[in-house]
Amino acid sequence: MNSNTGSTGSVPVIELRNIHKKYDDLEVLKGIDLVANKGDVIALIGSSGSGKSTLLRCANLLEIPQQGDIIFQGQAVTWGKKKGQRTPSDKNQLQQMRTNLSMVFQQFNLWAHMTVLQNVVEAPITVLKQNPAEANNRGRELLDKVGIGDKCDQFPSQLSGGQQQRAAIARALAMNPAAMLFDEPTSALDPELEAEVVRVIQALALEGRTMIIVTHDMKLAYDVANHVIFLHDGVIVEQGTPDEVFKNTRSPRLQQFLAATGQEG
Amino acid sequence: MSLQYCADPSLLHGWQWLSCYLLTPKHQLFYTSFLVVFALLAITAPVVLLLGFAGAMAKRSSFLPLRWFGSIYTSMVRGVPDVIFFLFVPIALDQLVEYARHKIKCPDITAPVYQGSDFIVCAAAKMPTSNADAWVHQLWGFSLAVIAFSIVFGAFAANTIHGALQAVPHNQLETARAYGMSDSQVFRRVHLPQMWTYALPGLSNLWMILVKATPLLFLLGVEDIVYWARELGGAKTSYFEYPHPDWRLWYFLALLVFYLLLTWLSGKFFARLTDKFSVDKSRSKANSIKPTLIGIGR
Ligand SMILES: Nc1ncnc2c1ncn2[C@@H]1O[C@H](COP(=O)(O)OP(=O)(O)OP(=O)(O)O)[C@@H](O)[C@H]1O
Ligand SMILES: [Mg+2]
Repeated sequence: MNSNTGSTGSVPVIELRNIHKKYDDLEVLKGIDLVANKGDVIALIGSSGSGKSTLLRCANLLEIPQQGDIIFQGQAVTWGKKKGQRTPSDKNQLQQMRTNLSMVFQQFNLWAHMTVLQNVVEAPITVLKQNPAEANNRGRELLDKVGIGDKCDQFPSQLSGGQQQRAAIARALAMNPAAMLFDEPTSALDPELEAEVVRVIQALALEGRTMIIVTHDMKLAYDVANHVIFLHDGVIVEQGTPDEVFKNTRSPRLQQFLAATGQEG
Repeated sequence: MSLQYCADPSLLHGWQWLSCYLLTPKHQLFYTSFLVVFALLAITAPVVLLLGFAGAMAKRSSFLPLRWFGSIYTSMVRGVPDVIFFLFVPIALDQLVEYARHKIKCPDITAPVYQGSDFIVCAAAKMPTSNADAWVHQLWGFSLAVIAFSIVFGAFAANTIHGALQAVPHNQLETARAYGMSDSQVFRRVHLPQMWTYALPGLSNLWMILVKATPLLFLLGVEDIVYWARELGGAKTSYFEYPHPDWRLWYFLALLVFYLLLTWLSGKFFARLTDKFSVDKSRSKANSIKPTLIGIGR
């Protein structure tokens, strides 16, 4: 089974320490620290190109930081070298991490050749080796929960963007993950469809799910997060509770950013 | 299987004459030669697919020599007219085999195999052997044809499949990795199934070209439908049992219809297959004439 019960209050679900990430000469992340404890909802905000997606992708090792440590439920990722590049050396550990940190993408990324239900049960069956019948039952429940139980047998291309994103959230939930990673889950959606997805995310926050959410939606950040991190040019410029960050903004950078997004206060 | 009234063809008229004429032993050979075409297609198609996969995987390999091999194979075949290849490969293979047999079976003959422009091997090395039945000769020619077809079309298939593998959107694969799938799981569960969407138009095209290339068998000395159409259609003097003027036009017309029918049926078949493998279900159902296959499945 998925080991999302292992974390007692004291051990963070995921911890990033001094993360540095470069693409060629471009240093995108310049030493980032982040701790997500069980039940935390962390919002990552910042202007375009500040490195939010990159940071999130480092957390489940879709990108490999050149420097820094990633500690998942108390276990630091072990590193090896391949062609002079740092890579995770333990395949099992990598899989364990990825199955426990389910990602929801801006463009949904549902597998186009599978029905919605197949999308949801795919990884539980092939990766977690769950019993297909049970996985299907649970998949249906989850699709019901996000409000698209009637779309089980449709293909992604037959769904609206909001429905696709909710299906993608059901797919993430089906992994029974220790934490969920959202990369701008509402940015590709019309305001109306956005609201559907925001409702689902809010419900998950109320359930006490651990989540890291990259978002341009300051209202979402303010409403659901208990911790907000403002990233600028690859460094954390300011962080704190939503009230601290949005109501008592200290850094001029963040003030500027909030003014520009027109959602100050 | 000849009809009763066919005993003396010179007494026959009209449709009776025709029915007897169309059932002569030679005509029956003509009909069975259609099976040769189908056999060629039935054997070549799967081999082409396999070679295509092998070639595509070679091109994608992380092992440099293999990658070179894949690229050289596909680009070499692409750069040469098919007909040249069909003429070259069987003769080259034939000589290669005979040369090898010559070295093994006649080790004491010291004369060079190439004398001037002649290729001379000892009698025992001949392929097929000189006392072999006619059908062995036919089978040998047919096998060489299968190999030539497979090499040429395998290279095209490799290009198509390689391109299709590249065309699968990166985010589909990355998502699979993000959900903990191993490389081989990503390949089997996502990459391969989605590849078909992009490969099928090219493969269907390739099949059409393969079908239309089957008369090249004639070029290789196999008694295929073209051979028999020419043979039977040619003018027959009164010396023959069923004399008639030059009817090749009609025989070739029959071949024309046969190929049209075959390609038309193939087209229908591939349209269904394309529909089945199409990644974008909504589009392929609504647009039954020609499913759009490119730029879908974000
Ligand atoms: N694979 C890559 N190769 C090279 N540069 C990259 C790559 N991915 C991201 N970058 C660069 O890294 C920087 C940060 O990108 P990132 O996607 O993390 O920004 P972001 O904060 O998520 O922006 P947005 O809000 O637009 O999504 C950008 O300048 C981007 O061009
Ligand atoms: Mg981003």
